[in-house]
Amino acid sequence: MLGSIQRIESPMRRFSEGEEVDYVIVGVGAGGGVLLQRLARAGFRVIGFDAGPFWDTERDWVSDEKGAHNLYWNDMRITAGEHPLAFGANNSGKGVGGGTVHWASFTPRLHPSDFSIHSTDGVGVDWPIPYSDLKPYYELMELELPVSGPSYYPWGDPHGYPYGPHPMGGVGDALIRGCTNLGIGVSAGGPVAILSGSRANRPHCIYRGFCIQGCKVGAKASTLITHVPDAIENGAEIRPNCMVSRIHVGATRRVTGVSYFDSDGRACFQKAKAVIVAGYSIETPRLLLNSACPGFENGLANSSDCVGRYLMAQAGNVVLGRFEELVRMYKAPPAHALTEEFYETDAKRGFARGFAIQTVGPLPMSFAKQMMVAKGAWGWGLRSVMMDYNHWAAFGFLGEILPNADNRVQLAEEKDRLGIPIAKITFNLYDNDKKLIEFGKNKTMEVMWAAGAQEVVQEARYAHLVGAARMGDNPETSVVDQFGRTHDIANLFLCDGSIMPTQGSANPGLTIMALAARAADYLIREGAAVFKSEERNTQKPPIRRDLSPPDTWGHGMPRI
Amino acid sequence: MNSQTERVDTRPVNTRTGKPIGPISQPGYYPGFSTLAQQKFWDAKTREVVLDRVINVPEIRFFSQQEARLLEAICDRILPQDDRDESHKIPIVPQIDRRLYENSHDGYRYEDMPPDREAFQLGLRAVEEIAQHEYRLGFLEIGPREQEEILHSLHHGKPSAGHEIWKQLPIHRFWMLLVSDCADAYYSHPWAWDEIGFGGPAYPRAYMRLERGEAEPWESEEKRYQWKAPDSSVSGVFEPVAGQAEHLGSPGQGGAH
Repeated sequence: MLGSIQRIESPMRRFSEGEEVDYVIVGVGAGGGVLLQRLARAGFRVIGFDAGPFWDTERDWVSDEKGAHNLYWNDMRITAGEHPLAFGANNSGKGVGGGTVHWASFTPRLHPSDFSIHSTDGVGVDWPIPYSDLKPYYELMELELPVSGPSYYPWGDPHGYPYGPHPMGGVGDALIRGCTNLGIGVSAGGPVAILSGSRANRPHCIYRGFCIQGCKVGAKASTLITHVPDAIENGAEIRPNCMVSRIHVGATRRVTGVSYFDSDGRACFQKAKAVIVAGYSIETPRLLLNSACPGFENGLANSSDCVGRYLMAQAGNVVLGRFEELVRMYKAPPAHALTEEFYETDAKRGFARGFAIQTVGPLPMSFAKQMMVAKGAWGWGLRSVMMDYNHWAAFGFLGEILPNADNRVQLAEEKDRLGIPIAKITFNLYDNDKKLIEFGKNKTMEVMWAAGAQEVVQEARYAHLVGAARMGDNPETSVVDQFGRTHDIANLFLCDGSIMPTQGSANPGLTIMALAARAADYLIREGAAVFKSEERNTQKPPIRRDLSPPDTWGHGMPRI
Repeated sequence: MNSQTERVDTRPVNTRTGKPIGPISQPGYYPGFSTLAQQKFWDAKTREVVLDRVINVPEIRFFSQQEARLLEAICDRILPQDDRDESHKIPIVPQIDRRLYENSHDGYRYEDMPPDREAFQLGLRAVEEIAQHEYRLGFLEIGPREQEEILHSLHHGKPSAGHEIWKQLPIHRFWMLLVSDCADAYYSHPWAWDEIGFGGPAYPRAYMRLERGEAEPWESEEKRYQWKAPDSSVSGVFEPVAGQAEHLGSPGQGGAH
């Protein structure tokens, strides 16, 4: 069961052991899920590996904070640096659907300016493609998920959404009130990948507030329910609970397949004509580095020494305000209103790039820890502030942190239970980041005060990962080209957030999916050439609008 | 200070009546509200998981008896429950013990921290050392006020002893680990949800009153009263955690945007 009424009716194809397939995809999350579905639809023989389970959402998931612990990547990682990142629940997924299983599902696009921040602001790096190359894929994904939101979204490249905006909860009301009192534009009811009306075998949202514990309703999009069923219908195989440990390279400097541990811990090999790694910003570089072999001593696709480097997180301070009246922020999706009024560079602020302010809705366990950090609450203080839980609202500041070569993923000495070296992540903030966070945090607090809060506190944290195997035109400074093909190995591709050169202040999920759909069009156009040729066609592929899952077309087409 | 510890009242005080609160079955501003009373409206899996938490309190398997008793005394001050009657105290140590026994964690470890199991064992030893240093008594033998003073010194990052241990165990990280484990155990329990007026699981029934903090028909209205921490306590005020400068990262990072 996927959600309360969705079922996958057809049996899943099983490739026999020793059978060579066209593509192996490592990781069935935001990127891997979309790519798997399209390659299967186009007739390729493809297997998606995931280190975690194939969820039965009705049987496996709960409306419970603590009970959601198994949705995250809980294998050990070492976090280091002056500003060490938190992992686990914060920014990872394990299981089919990956992080989209527990994302809050804010789905804003990047702005056109995000693709050329080096040219315009002299910071970070430009993308190898402009916004216009990704725009049609944003539009496709907004229909396929689909995304609910206003019919006119004013920031970046203005556009509208196919499904109507959601009703407000208490936190959204506070954000709208605060922004309106300060003359700041605000978007109410989206963009979020949550159904505001039913569609096919997916019911509409019931506002239960447990989005980030996994949506049992089936209203919130995850690739598990939006793309994976169609992939299976079209002949893709998914191998859940299988941890890929190494990518193999043959004599011709082309990849030949992957080693993995199956659900019983048995070491296996899968032969493939091409391999696509979609394990996100920690596991993707970890696998490339762990696949080092003669001829690729520093890891696969790492001649640039960029694998693992330029890792980014978004600044994600949570600003909490206490109100005289009740809020009950556990109701409604945590994600339901935002402003991108501060997204673009404003020279007067003294730093480059900007930030968004979004609603968040921490449940009691998370809120208790936020109070511990933000107010120093413990003992009777903790008990008393928690009794006021229903009086608090929370905003998430989402700020752009710039790429830096020293923010990186490396291998630690320590190994996991399968004997695979674990990742060590080093993260530091730099001058522009610090100024941006200081300004954005204060602005978010100002909005909370303007909403009528009597007390405003904040907790420093980070959200979302991207980068660590970035794309670019220059093989000396990037890992993959604009289609996700590694510069070093013609039949090895990456398709996840790790290839993003910069991150903007938009939640990355939609962009990862749009990049995956674009990569799929490229691979489909190239056809069998990928499997034998060293030629690199850099022509843009035609856009395939006929590869969407069923029920994509004919509903709520945005006019703008 | 000597071993004389008189029996102090550790219950919070109603500031209007001046009388201590409890022990009662349900503190908080939502008297009579019960999330468990709604369990027939929950999905089967959620009901199973939440009821298991309430009914099947795990036995102690990781900590020694002595460690468990010490940790229990610490948790009694980090998440005091003196206002709750015996049959409605929320078990904290069994949940921490289970986590460590199963070696369950959040998927990362700070480079300067030992693994959680070791961190707890080291931290307990350090707390005991401070008690010996300050009072020449075990932590279990001193009064609640003295116990709180020791924990307060961890909060402020200035413990008077255990320095060899703190070299391997950054004080503020241990303090955060300890408080967050206590918070996880307490606020994952449906009795705590009743206390704070959190509606709890709402699938498949849904919430329908989203705005103005309105209660669902099956939720309770807030009935506030003024209260304060017991006079014997130092934990009723809010003071920043020392050493927890922003650059050191924080553990309250659960959940995504």
